[in-house]
Amino acid sequence: MGFHLDPDKRVPVDRAATLVADGAMVALGGGLSARLPMALVRELIRQGRQGLHVVGSAHGIDVDLLVAAGAIAVCEESYVGFEQDLGLAPAFRRAAERGTIEVRESCCDTILMQLRAAEFGLPFLPVRGVRGSDILRLHPEYGEVRCPFTAETLVAVPPLRPDIVLIHALLADRQGNLHLEQPYVLDERFAAASRNVVATAERIVSTEEVAAAGITIPGHLVAAVSEVPFGAHPSSCYPAYAYDRPHLAGYVRAAAAGDGELACYLERFVTGVPDEEGYRKVVGEEHLSALGRWSESTTAWKGLFT
Amino acid sequence: MERAVHVSTADSFSLDEWFVIALARTIRDGEVTFHGFGSPCAQVAMHVAKRTHARRMLLVEGATYACNPDPPFIPPTGNDASLQRGAAYRMRFEEFFDAAIRGDVDRMFLSGGQIDGYGNTNVTAIGADDYPATLPKVKLGGGGGGCNLAATIGHLTLWTTRHRSGRALVQHCDFITDMGHRTPAGSRSGLGYSGGGPQWLVTELGIFDFDTEGDTQGAARLRQLFPDVDLETVRAATGFELRVAPDLSSVRPPSAAELAVLRGIDPLGVRRSEFSAAELRRTFSYSASGRCQC
Repeated sequence: MGFHLDPDKRVPVDRAATLVADGAMVALGGGLSARLPMALVRELIRQGRQGLHVVGSAHGIDVDLLVAAGAIAVCEESYVGFEQDLGLAPAFRRAAERGTIEVRESCCDTILMQLRAAEFGLPFLPVRGVRGSDILRLHPEYGEVRCPFTAETLVAVPPLRPDIVLIHALLADRQGNLHLEQPYVLDERFAAASRNVVATAERIVSTEEVAAAGITIPGHLVAAVSEVPFGAHPSSCYPAYAYDRPHLAGYVRAAAAGDGELACYLERFVTGVPDEEGYRKVVGEEHLSALGRWSESTTAWKGLFT
Repeated sequence: MERAVHVSTADSFSLDEWFVIALARTIRDGEVTFHGFGSPCAQVAMHVAKRTHARRMLLVEGATYACNPDPPFIPPTGNDASLQRGAAYRMRFEEFFDAAIRGDVDRMFLSGGQIDGYGNTNVTAIGADDYPATLPKVKLGGGGGGCNLAATIGHLTLWTTRHRSGRALVQHCDFITDMGHRTPAGSRSGLGYSGGGPQWLVTELGIFDFDTEGDTQGAARLRQLFPDVDLETVRAATGFELRVAPDLSSVRPPSAAELAVLRGIDPLGVRRSEFSAAELRRTFSYSASGRCQC
């Protein structure tokens, strides 16, 4: 692989999404309901992408929506769901129970070590734990290794080298330098281990502005970048906006009902709108800007979550 | 999910409050403590401990990895900026996992759809004991970091709020996601784990510990009961053989300070999302003698 040295990587988000091929191994940035690359996820669904192999740590609507749209063949995440608050991920759960997706459930530290093996250019790394867990049954590719120094037996895992990672950033410049707010989750590791980084950002600004905020992921790892305001909605992208709990609750209801109601959600928010500008209109500009008012007061912040 | 405003007052308290305080007391002062995401009871408990008996603990938030944050409230999602407020330092994901794997984290909270008598937990799939060969009845969300962390973290506090259902504490987990004291593959020492494994199992009916030696090493043992629960109720709800400590006692009621801290940190009542409506109706009050009445 090589670094990406083009001076200007800005493209519209639909062009950026074409870098993800059918059947690709795709890492998803962010985690739970924070900084998920939702604009790219929606665009992949609009373009009818299929057979994806998604990898990551703990995720929610990004994975569930891709499953709902029939885009995923293999799911290798450590968790997919909506936490205690909104419960199990309905489309993921249904597909796993029917066997229409292959679930290679993984574990956060195992994924981290597999990404590091890829970053380090090593053929494997040992991991702690996993022995004694039935997670082993889901991973026939794991091996065992005996430490030449201590004689301990450890599980050995191969490198995980995604074809592409999708990341949503707060700020980017035209070269693809990205500024993220913490938690970065696995985004830095994904960026270094993957063949390509495709990013969206709330705003594309000058290099000086990104550098002043702090470059989390350097442009030489990034293949394409698109400016998409509210590109993480309905997950959060602080400090720009909090997550949209009512929207997520509505999605979970529709996805749990399945069939017609789920088709309705997809039509209304994804396939029935031509692009992300259309998405923002359907969600409502006023509704979206209210998510940015978390910072006005603790009362306002709490009010978004009740 | 709508959350009712809790009705407890200074003189009375609810089961969900008492339960979280019981969880908090499993943390010892000075411990480095972590909770998994999607675990509001454990999350609130850590903040209660930090503000009462365990002021020296290092509290690491479960999805922001913030160190000792001072959140204005506990939100319904574990990855929210409110859970970084007031933290001078936020670990990276890998920084936390590296610390935990090398043995620098003292305690973690873990739950599961199924928990067996050795503290193995299942958060992967229910209804097929050879998953993935057979498809499950219920695919759960997944274990996050548990199957690595359960091996190396100093002690685990397990909990469930669904003991009474009879489906949570089982003879055998359909699938072992996170390892307890003994799995079909062997014991902790045989498998090379450096951590101590489950130390407490707190349920809405009572509190178990785990034998530390002898033939029953690693087996759960009932130590305390909530005062409105009898032994037969626990026995009927427990899938593994119920072993009872000779000095079985009642769970110590919350102190006024613990209740005040709990109510301050969890004004949204996110802890309540873990309980059935019937359990949420359990309320208790202090009598004139200071003893708890149900």
